[in-house]
Amino acid sequence: MGIIPKIAWRNIQRHRGKSLVIGIILFLGALIMTIGNGVISGMEKGLRENIMNRFTGQIVIVSSNQVEDNVIFTPMGKDVEVITGYDKIKKVLEGRDYIDRFMPAAKGLTLILNENGDLGYSLVLGVRFEDYQKMFLHNVQLVEGAYLKNDDRGILISSGNRTRIFDEQGFWLVPRGRGVNEKNLPPEELKRRDSLDVRESLVLMGGSMENTSRDLKVDVKGIVRYEYLDEFWKNFSIMDIESFREAFQYVTASDSLVKISSEKQKILESDNLDNLFGDTLVEKAVTTGKRYDITGLIGKKVVQKRLDVDSGAYSLVFVKLKDAGRIGKSLEDLNAKLKAAGAEARAVSWKAAVGQLADMAMIMRGVATGFVLLIFFVAIIIIMNTLSMAALERVSEIGMMRAVGAQKSFIAKMFFAETAMISFIFGGAGILAGIGAVHLLDLLNITTDNHVLVLLFGGNVFRPGLDFIDILIGIVELVTVTAIATVYPLKVARGITPLDAIMRD
Amino acid sequence: MDIIEMKNIKKDYPLGETIVHALRGVDLSVEEGGFISIIGPSGSGKTTLLNIIGCIDTATEGSVKIADEDITALDDKKLTNIRLFKVGFIFQTFNLIPVLNLLENVEFPLLLMKDKSWSRTDIRARAEKCIDDVGLKDFMEHRPAELSGGQRQRVAIARALVTKPQIVLADEPTANLDSETGANILKLMKHLNETENVTFVFSTHDPDVLQYASQVIKIKDGAIVEKAGSERQSRSRQAKGKSAGRGVKGGSRPKGRI
Repeated sequence: MGIIPKIAWRNIQRHRGKSLVIGIILFLGALIMTIGNGVISGMEKGLRENIMNRFTGQIVIVSSNQVEDNVIFTPMGKDVEVITGYDKIKKVLEGRDYIDRFMPAAKGLTLILNENGDLGYSLVLGVRFEDYQKMFLHNVQLVEGAYLKNDDRGILISSGNRTRIFDEQGFWLVPRGRGVNEKNLPPEELKRRDSLDVRESLVLMGGSMENTSRDLKVDVKGIVRYEYLDEFWKNFSIMDIESFREAFQYVTASDSLVKISSEKQKILESDNLDNLFGDTLVEKAVTTGKRYDITGLIGKKVVQKRLDVDSGAYSLVFVKLKDAGRIGKSLEDLNAKLKAAGAEARAVSWKAAVGQLADMAMIMRGVATGFVLLIFFVAIIIIMNTLSMAALERVSEIGMMRAVGAQKSFIAKMFFAETAMISFIFGGAGILAGIGAVHLLDLLNITTDNHVLVLLFGGNVFRPGLDFIDILIGIVELVTVTAIATVYPLKVARGITPLDAIMRD
Repeated sequence: MDIIEMKNIKKDYPLGETIVHALRGVDLSVEEGGFISIIGPSGSGKTTLLNIIGCIDTATEGSVKIADEDITALDDKKLTNIRLFKVGFIFQTFNLIPVLNLLENVEFPLLLMKDKSWSRTDIRARAEKCIDDVGLKDFMEHRPAELSGGQRQRVAIARALVTKPQIVLADEPTANLDSETGANILKLMKHLNETENVTFVFSTHDPDVLQYASQVIKIKDGAIVEKAGSERQSRSRQAKGKSAGRGVKGGSRPKGRI
């Protein structure tokens, strides 16, 4: 063993009390830091995997007219611009071998109309539901009723939405023809079961900035909940894409089947449509008193041939990559290809698309990091103070070393070696204990429905975890703390002269 | 050849608003191989003088040459190297490294030298010889706390001599020892001065020291007031015609006088 480690190690043993104080601080700091890193890492991983795998994919394609990238949790349910020319996007996506799968959807805020005048609202995703479930790992779970099939019309109300609608508008939604499942009724409502206002359908009106929406009666097909992150997604109900398009006045697949003659096309393209409705064009209708058979008329609306659902409009395309770690490069390539194909769309990352949620995760990380930093700050102060005191108590010893020819650098190395050894032993033990604690917490399988904890856990189950890189970061943090805490005491020790030792004696 | 040359050395210490003049223009030359005693009352400037010779302190004014090297304007690193390679120290309070045993304490300066021509075995052998010279062969594995005051001072002497310095400075080396032990230490120092031909400069209050010193320098109020004994020592040395090894690894140098 070299002379520096030898002196350092023996000094640690000689000054056991101080070594222990510094060691315990480093141990606790490293322990808390490692657990904190594990929680943060687990939260990020949980959020990333849950959101990417079960809600958005890694990439979301939006209209190039869309100003903000945040399209999922838009403030006040703000409109998401309609994507035009989905066929071009589809072609680009199909040609990319790094894409695992993709699915188009539409997202919007619908008003819920009620004959008593109360207005409610619900965020709605318009999708082909079977495709949606396949894409997002069957994250939607049935509570009551039935799932939608791809060509079914109807809406799946999230149980969170049902409760909110009940609280705000006073009616209890149930799937058509299924009646009330009393197990899911709030206990106090169960007592008033007979007077409960039960409904099997909703009248929705797509909310849009252009006032181009219309009201639409939609049957409730099922009541659902999200297996993961239900706390955050519970405001989203899911409806079939064609109903969505009708509610929001998007171009529907049925619309695309309508052939317009060239004369009618000219009229539609005319600048002054009011001229078409001049007095001379109004003719009094002659009625015969015979009533139309309304069911016959509805029947005529039924499209006989199978719809190409993709010929209608969407507002989002969720894209899953084969390699979730290639988001950046894939985004770059996709945007270049979309541009080259003349698609009026751009690709954004899932983080940008979920906006607030990713921001909240960052805030949580910031808070946790701040907490760890605070611990470190306190640790640095205590260690710095203890080491400085130790340096001053050893003026004779250090001064004598300097007198017999030890350079300042030798003293610095000796002092640093002492701190480094304590840091290695106690900090290392703290990191190992932290790894053990994180592993133990993972095994405990802690679950929660609490809004804040769900975010902290990155899902409903607490899954803290440490990667090699997290441990490496922990070690770097420990080394940094040790280095910072040693700077001032080193300065003190280096500043001790032989004369100080003589004067002390 | 003069191993120490001091010209018009002044040392002032600020003490609040007043200035303490510790040395007031000291001129001193010391030849190689001398056994010089600096005596004087407390506060006369003995320790300050030794500190400046030993590169522990710097003069406010004047010039100092140690082994023909002007140390007046050297930086801390170079002064430290002079302390390591040219000067050995023996302190009043022994000042050993408490966590190292006797052998390791004596090896310490040699390890600091990082001389590649010295193997680990050479270092150990040199340290063991120095310990043997001071009569502590049987205590090599002992820590300082396990030794008596006299034994500790012997260790300090061995450590001071291990690098074969040109000068050994001792600031009241017998002050904390009983008279018998103090006398033994002085005898040992004198013996090493003669056998190793190392220049010893030491401060003391002990009147018995005078019988060993080749020259006695009396200092009072920061100035040298009397020098005595140089001729006696010079004659004695010439009569004995001794010579001894020099430098860290050996060699020879002529006898000197004050």
